[in-house]
Amino acid sequence: MKTQITSMAANLPLVLAVALFAVFAVGLDNFASPQNTYAIFQTFALLGLITLGLSMTMLVGEFDLSVGSMVAVAGLITLKVGGDDLVTGALVAMAFAFVVGTLNALVFVWLRLSSLVVTVGTMIALSGFAYWLAGGKIISTDNFDAGALWDDSILGMFSARSLLTILAFIVMAGILKFTRLGRDMVATGSSTQAARACGVSIGKVHLFAFVLSSLCAGLAGVLLSISLATASATMGSNLLLQAVSAAIIGGVALAGGIGKPSGVLFGVLILTILNNGLSLLGASSAAILLTNGLLLLVVVVIDGKSGALLQIVRSKGLTRQA
Amino acid sequence: MTSVIGDLIKQSVQGDRIQVNGIKAVSLLLIIWGYFSVDNFLTPANLSAIMYSVSAIGIAAVGMAFITLSGNLFMLSMAATAALSTIVFASTLHFGLPVALLSVSVLGIVIGSIQGLVVGAARVNPIIATIAVASIVMGIGSYVSGGMTVIGKGDASWLGIGKFASLVPNQLVIFLAFAIAANYWVERTRFGRELRLIGLNPITAAYSGIRVPRTLVIAFVVAGFSAALAGGLFASQASQGNLKMAAGLDFDAIAAVLVAGISIRGGQGKIIDAVYGAIFLALIGNLLLVHGLSFEIQLMVKGAVVVLAVIVAALIARGKVR
Repeated sequence: MKTQITSMAANLPLVLAVALFAVFAVGLDNFASPQNTYAIFQTFALLGLITLGLSMTMLVGEFDLSVGSMVAVAGLITLKVGGDDLVTGALVAMAFAFVVGTLNALVFVWLRLSSLVVTVGTMIALSGFAYWLAGGKIISTDNFDAGALWDDSILGMFSARSLLTILAFIVMAGILKFTRLGRDMVATGSSTQAARACGVSIGKVHLFAFVLSSLCAGLAGVLLSISLATASATMGSNLLLQAVSAAIIGGVALAGGIGKPSGVLFGVLILTILNNGLSLLGASSAAILLTNGLLLLVVVVIDGKSGALLQIVRSKGLTRQA
Repeated sequence: MTSVIGDLIKQSVQGDRIQVNGIKAVSLLLIIWGYFSVDNFLTPANLSAIMYSVSAIGIAAVGMAFITLSGNLFMLSMAATAALSTIVFASTLHFGLPVALLSVSVLGIVIGSIQGLVVGAARVNPIIATIAVASIVMGIGSYVSGGMTVIGKGDASWLGIGKFASLVPNQLVIFLAFAIAANYWVERTRFGRELRLIGLNPITAAYSGIRVPRTLVIAFVVAGFSAALAGGLFASQASQGNLKMAAGLDFDAIAAVLVAGISIRGGQGKIIDAVYGAIFLALIGNLLLVHGLSFEIQLMVKGAVVVLAVIVAALIARGKVR
């Protein structure tokens, strides 16, 4: 009985994503066309990478608020440093993202502050840096070949960008399932004290999660700026909001220890399909922002309630812990 | 006499008061440095500029201090609330200034109480909940205003440019009155003691019969109200409302709270400390401005000051543990 419930809960994001797609496909003429499916996967490529990284910090029981501004900074660095040589720009941007992730983790581990506090600082510092890099302008490049290379459609509805994102999800799922580091991450998120007592190197786990989160957001920003051939300081706004929503819809618990890349993947798809469908219905960007906010509020309340409920059930010994 | 001064010094460097007293001393040094390094620093015109820049931000910082003191880190919906408040202020100004102020107050109380219920009663992560509310509020704001500036048809000069006894701006008087009243409320009443105890340890507080949800809802209502009031002050200066007007208010309020040493772990610090933090940041901002440094540089210096303050606070806390 219990395994049935668990497997249903695990498959819920998949079922919801398919159902939502079906509803829009029946209701809207152009929704299921190859072009629109391609567009959905392009948005998925951007949001998916960010959410994947963010959900790994959530899995270890922490949070990275700086992912949205990291996208903007990485994109700006790619075009500012790279100019027409986007490979150099991308490498510098990724190196920068690596440094930021490391710093997030070090400050967090060293000062024993809440990761929310550390990364709210990084978020503000990075957005200030982004404004300084952009200098009030939109940065652009004349190199359109790279963008075409990443965005050319493959099999009608995918692109190199979206396939790379899907690959990232598969690799992460493999790490969580088959490596010691992955199991340590889940253990740390479930109970840091218990994990430490069992010999898990908590610092290493946190370092991995925060560097991964920063790198994923950085890569998303790099690919976005290459694809658009432009970058601006406001490029990452609202992405944090969507990434948190997608992660929680995908079954990642804010309290840590619960969450799977497969769930996150469908969580991102649900949000992407919803926003795409709404804009095809003629909803303004204000209305979509409002819907996303309401959605996050609803899912976060449900997450909080079920999390609290689960803890009470566990403390009374009503279920065996898996 | 000397022993009195000695006791004063000993008290001021003791434990949890050391940071805010340091900020007071540095502020004084900044004023002296400004007097000698800048020709017109202590002229009425520049002093009045500092007073205007500190008033709205200071009010928001006082509101933010309630949230931080309650152990709920930060409220990231203040800028959004203030932005919507400028629109509401400008749209209701033709009914007269009292009606406009009443409207923004109601707006702030409503937005604050929603967050209070979600965080205080449903126990949702405060950062995520307030990000969600921020996007809902911004969505409503851009829907209502259409992204345009709303010009107020009415007279807001009493609040916007009026001066008390033709000396201090009315805005500053409102700010100080609000701050002193809020400080008295937290230091001297049952609500204040409950707020502090919840911040120190919410679980113990709940078991001790402290009215946790009620107190948290009140704290969020105060914070929402203060954000909306800050928006009203912004809007009154030019009798117009615009969603971009309050940008950065979250950061400024957080910065004021953090540099003043109000503990992010909750429960420690006084409401009035946020006032000293806001004054300190306004002085730095003004000095950088009159020295001709660009907006981006000002942002980065402020960011660095905040990071430094957080590290110092963490080190002080660590020293106490040992």
